[in-house]
Amino acid sequence: MDNIKARFLEEANDLIEDLEKALLELENNPEDKNQVEKVFRVMHTLKGTSAMFGFAKVGDLTHDLETIYDFIREGKAAVSSEILSITLESVDILKLLLNSDQALDHKDEEAYNRLTKEVVKLAEKIEGKPSDETEQEAAILEVESVKSYYILFRPQEKILVRGANPMYLLDDLNALGDCKISVHQTNVPSLDDIDPVLCYLYWDIYLATKENEQAIKDIFMFVEDDCILEIHKVSDGNILSNEKFIQKVEEIEGDVSVEDLKEFVKNLLQILKSKGNAEEKGGSATSKENGLGSIRVATDKLDHLMNMVSELITVQARLSLFAEKNPNPELDAIAENVEKISRQLRDNAFSICLIPFENLLTRFQRLVRDLSIELKKDILFLAEGRETELDKTIIENLADPLMHLIRNSLDHGIEDKEGRTKAGKPAQATITVKAFYSGNQVHIQVIDDGRGIDPVKIKKKAIEKGLVSDEAVLTDKECYQLIFLPGFSTAEKVTDVSGRGVGMDVVKRKILEIRGEVDIESKVDVGTTITIKLPLSLSIIDGLLVKVDNTHIVFPLFSVQKCYEVTRSQIASAFNNMIAVDGEQISFFSLREQFKIENNYPEILQLVTISHENQKVGLVVDTIIGEYQAVLKPLGKLYKQLDIMSGASILGDGTVALVMDTNKVIKEFSNKILI
Amino acid sequence: MTKTILIVDDFESSRSILGRTLENAGYKVMQGNDGEAALKILDELSIDLVITDLNMPGMDGISLIKNIRSREDYQFTPVLLLTTNSKNDKKELAKEAGATAWIEKPFQVEALLNNIRKMIR
Repeated sequence: MDNIKARFLEEANDLIEDLEKALLELENNPEDKNQVEKVFRVMHTLKGTSAMFGFAKVGDLTHDLETIYDFIREGKAAVSSEILSITLESVDILKLLLNSDQALDHKDEEAYNRLTKEVVKLAEKIEGKPSDETEQEAAILEVESVKSYYILFRPQEKILVRGANPMYLLDDLNALGDCKISVHQTNVPSLDDIDPVLCYLYWDIYLATKENEQAIKDIFMFVEDDCILEIHKVSDGNILSNEKFIQKVEEIEGDVSVEDLKEFVKNLLQILKSKGNAEEKGGSATSKENGLGSIRVATDKLDHLMNMVSELITVQARLSLFAEKNPNPELDAIAENVEKISRQLRDNAFSICLIPFENLLTRFQRLVRDLSIELKKDILFLAEGRETELDKTIIENLADPLMHLIRNSLDHGIEDKEGRTKAGKPAQATITVKAFYSGNQVHIQVIDDGRGIDPVKIKKKAIEKGLVSDEAVLTDKECYQLIFLPGFSTAEKVTDVSGRGVGMDVVKRKILEIRGEVDIESKVDVGTTITIKLPLSLSIIDGLLVKVDNTHIVFPLFSVQKCYEVTRSQIASAFNNMIAVDGEQISFFSLREQFKIENNYPEILQLVTISHENQKVGLVVDTIIGEYQAVLKPLGKLYKQLDIMSGASILGDGTVALVMDTNKVIKEFSNKILI
Repeated sequence: MTKTILIVDDFESSRSILGRTLENAGYKVMQGNDGEAALKILDELSIDLVITDLNMPGMDGISLIKNIRSREDYQFTPVLLLTTNSKNDKKELAKEAGATAWIEKPFQVEALLNNIRKMIR
């Protein structure tokens, strides 16, 4: 039961998300019949199912809302902002009701009571009485005049001797419509006692057909005196299309009790009435209802899958290494195959864990809507790259920081109406959330056309707060980064929305936790763009395995461009860390020098060029071992501060390789030079 | 596989028109003008369905059916009885004797074919 309940909650929450989306769409386009239909359907489903799981209040609230949307659906009422507001408020309460096991606290209880009253009032206003329910019942199983029958066909044993063949009769029944036949074999005697000319079988037949009872009888016309034939109508509609009914029928052992069956159908119809109605009618609930386009899997199962894949790849690395050390063509072939397959498996497992960015958007849309009302700002919310897919763990961790950024944009970034008119901007402000791929990263941007961030103001504030010293010379970019310092808040007054002191520093920390970066670009009076750069995946990357002295290092392959051989003297004599390769001057860093490793300095070294912010930068290492799939493992608590390494990976022979975040390494090294 | 139907009727034109109809419907047709002739054919050939008139000189329909049912290899062979009008007592007798189905003359070709289809496919 708990399982079923959990599943219900999951579904209900999905529904509510759909509902919110539809409502917001409706707000933009009140005429959109599809959305009305969607809203109605969700209400209907919630109403029907929630009571079964003990959410009586959800049932009550949705019941009345459903009535309202039913009117709208039928064109008896129009979508108004009043209706939408009340519905959206109800959605909040519904969420509370569904997601807290305890009773509502006093405040919410009050809100609930107020809302139910308002909803009822609204419904009554639209029309005196709620719609007739029997009408809806007809709609569930709407298929014209299809009726469902239960037929018991029990021929006399000697029927075969008369030359009749019951199978043909069953075939004919089958031809009349949807038909489910179950056979009773209980009367078949043991082999010794069997008389091969007798018919021991009898049948239960469930038939959904447009034909009338007479047509069914006609099929049996030549045998009706030689058999027990009962025909019962069990439902006005095609009950056979219902899985639950089929299930029930399959469970029946022994003879069917017609009363039981009718009772069951009655109950089933009641459930259906509240559940399936609009879906069948509207016919628009395609993917969710129609079969197995997708299945639902618990996230911990996916995590488990990813872990297993990681383990597999680690073991595979061991196998490859073993094969290399023990030359044997057969072993080589096996190792190669295992590598190929595990790579495919890895990619596949990854793609399973990817979720479109869109899943986050509804929340934001709602946030913008509510806030713009609260702050009395007219804001257009745009979203681009809805279909961009991200790892589910990233999505989970991204919601809060993004929410915060959008909130900040709305509150601080966008000017009030007078401010905008003064600045000569259109009254309606725009906030765009954009997601797109960039190399091996996903970028997510929050763009507003607000007042922008004034670096001078920021710096002043930071000095006031003692976060930087007076003399510090900072570029604009560095000034923007000050926003992310703990305890920084430039809001002139604290609103309900933002400026509570916790803020951008939390955002930054959260993004860092998922190995992301935050960038700010801004122009005073034009707007601000905040970019979050995220890795595509968190657990396994393709890398280039290199060695410096006896330390293995993995460079992410996507940033590696080319490898060159260089001599020690070339490196030593280089001026200003510049070296010429392929007729081009590029700056480089020697990992040996940076990490101060003096042992076993080889004469021949390798220079790996890395693409870093549209530039080529070289990293000098001792040897290049080759391409390598790195399963990222965290470095542990003690190395939490070490952000130039994104993790560690275990090689086939058990040694640990460090996975280097080349971007951060290059940044770090460049800073050293500047200072 | 083409099914073979044996038509038993003393009235030749009725027998031939029926035969032609069934042939057009794709069946193989044998004809016998009375019960004795029918039994002979049944002995010689393998018949899938027998269509017999009720009233015939000599061995009538009911006796023929009884005879058919008494033969081990024709116990299960369907028999369609043609009756002139609804003589219910005869129909009962026929059923008791082992007729599988019946149709009243005059009949529509469609109805006949339908009934046949209930017995052989």
